[in-house]
Formats: sequence, structure tokens, C-alpha cells
Amino acid sequence: MSASGKYELHVRSMHGAEKVAMDFAAEIARRMNFPADRVEDLKTAVAEACMNAIEHGNKLDATTRVGIRLVVDKDKLQIAVQDQGGGIAKPRTPDIESRMEGKTDPRGWGIYLIENLMDEVTFESTAEGGVVKMIIYLEKQE
Amino acid sequence: MTKNVEVLTRLHGDVSVIDIRGDVTPLAGPPVEEAYAGVSAAGAKKILFVFAPDCYINSGGIAVLIGVLSQTRKKGQSVRITGLTPHFQKIFAMVGLTKYAHISPSEQAAIGELKTGT
Repeated sequence: MSASGKYELHVRSMHGAEKVAMDFAAEIARRMNFPADRVEDLKTAVAEACMNAIEHGNKLDATTRVGIRLVVDKDKLQIAVQDQGGGIAKPRTPDIESRMEGKTDPRGWGIYLIENLMDEVTFESTAEGGVVKMIIYLEKQE
Repeated sequence: MTKNVEVLTRLHGDVSVIDIRGDVTPLAGPPVEEAYAGVSAAGAKKILFVFAPDCYINSGGIAVLIGVLSQTRKKGQSVRITGLTPHFQKIFAMVGLTKYAHISPSEQAAIGELKTGT
């Protein structure tokens, strides 16, 4: 794969579409020679970002789309996942204990996982919709 | 795109084994909860969840498992998990699930641990 490049994919807002985006991103990362464990991290992060866009941003409206843009750099892969709605408000860090006790909804781990698996993450709201921007480096940033 | 989840139960001595394959997403909730309810109703005290190596697990699926583990905790059941890839072992540790269910390296090891209470 060349040292730089841009790729774009649009998927319909329906359950399962996140796996198409996940596999697409993984294939690009493999071609960039990301280690296998980092490809797995990327797959989970992209799938979670897409699911948030599908469920929360686009409210599972199958007439809307989620855009996935990938920019390949020499040392990193940049990913932007865009919905056509208002994005998602960043929840507080989830607490497993309160979920185990049934005090809070057991869901809500997506953003937590994204932030822990990717090297850089930002959430933006634009005129076109909410965007999650993620960066993963070939060499993991500590 | 999505693979339906398949959940089966079997007995290995006094250990109730719940085999899970396919996509562990929110759609896995009813079959996983039904399988758990079935073994619990049969009096299970030791439960082993065996994930197929090709399982895809997302945050919604993790929520399903949290719900089930919440019930095993209330009922005082011993639980082990096995079959997870290294990536999903990391994810389970990341969310804190491993505080409530030990991940064993193999089904045989998990059953041994459950039998001896280690």
C-alpha cells in the first residue's frame, strides 16, 4: 500500500452494517502492516463508532447513512465516522459495579472501548451531523 | 452481514455448559438469557460459558453478559468463561467483567477449576 491514501465507505443505518465498516477498516490496516492485535483493536473501535452513529445519531433510520472515511499516513491511520444526526453525548465512564447491581443500564460501553483502544479520539458536531474522529498509530502511543 | 447467535446447553458432570457461537450483540440477549434461565431452573451451581473462537462480541453483547453475570452473582453460582480470543479477553478485562467471572485457558481447565472450587 502507498504511504498515503484516502478511502470512503457509506453504509445504511441498520444493525450489521457496522461489520461491513469494521472489515473495510481492518483490510486497510492489514495492508499498512498493523500488528494483528492492533487490527483487532481497530475493528472493535470502528464497529462501536458505527453502531453509535446508527443507533444514536441516525436513530436506526434506514434511509440515512453512516460515512466512514479513512486517511492512510505513513505512521498512522485516521478514521472519521459521521452520522446524519446529532452524534452522541459522551457518557460518564461506565461503572461495572453499579451495572452488576442493576443500578444502571448495563449498556453504554461503546465510547469507553473506543477511547481505550484508539490512540486519539475526538467527538465533533458539524452541520452535517456528529463525527467521531479516531487515530491509531502503527506504534502504539503510551 | 450478521451471523445469528447460536446458544446450546449441555451438562459436564455438575457443570452446566453454555456454548455460544456467532454474533454476541443485543440480539443475543433472548437466547443467552433463556439458556441461562434454563440451567438455573435445573439447579445449576457451576456454569461455564464457552465462546466459539469466531464469536464477534460488541458492547451490546457485553451488556447482555453483564445482565446474566449479575444474576449468577445474586444466585451465588460459580462461573467461568473460556474460548475467548486474546482480543476479547482484553476487552472483558477492560470493562471489568473478569472481576466477576474468571477466564480460563480451556474448557478442560475451566471444568477442573469449577469442580475443585479454585
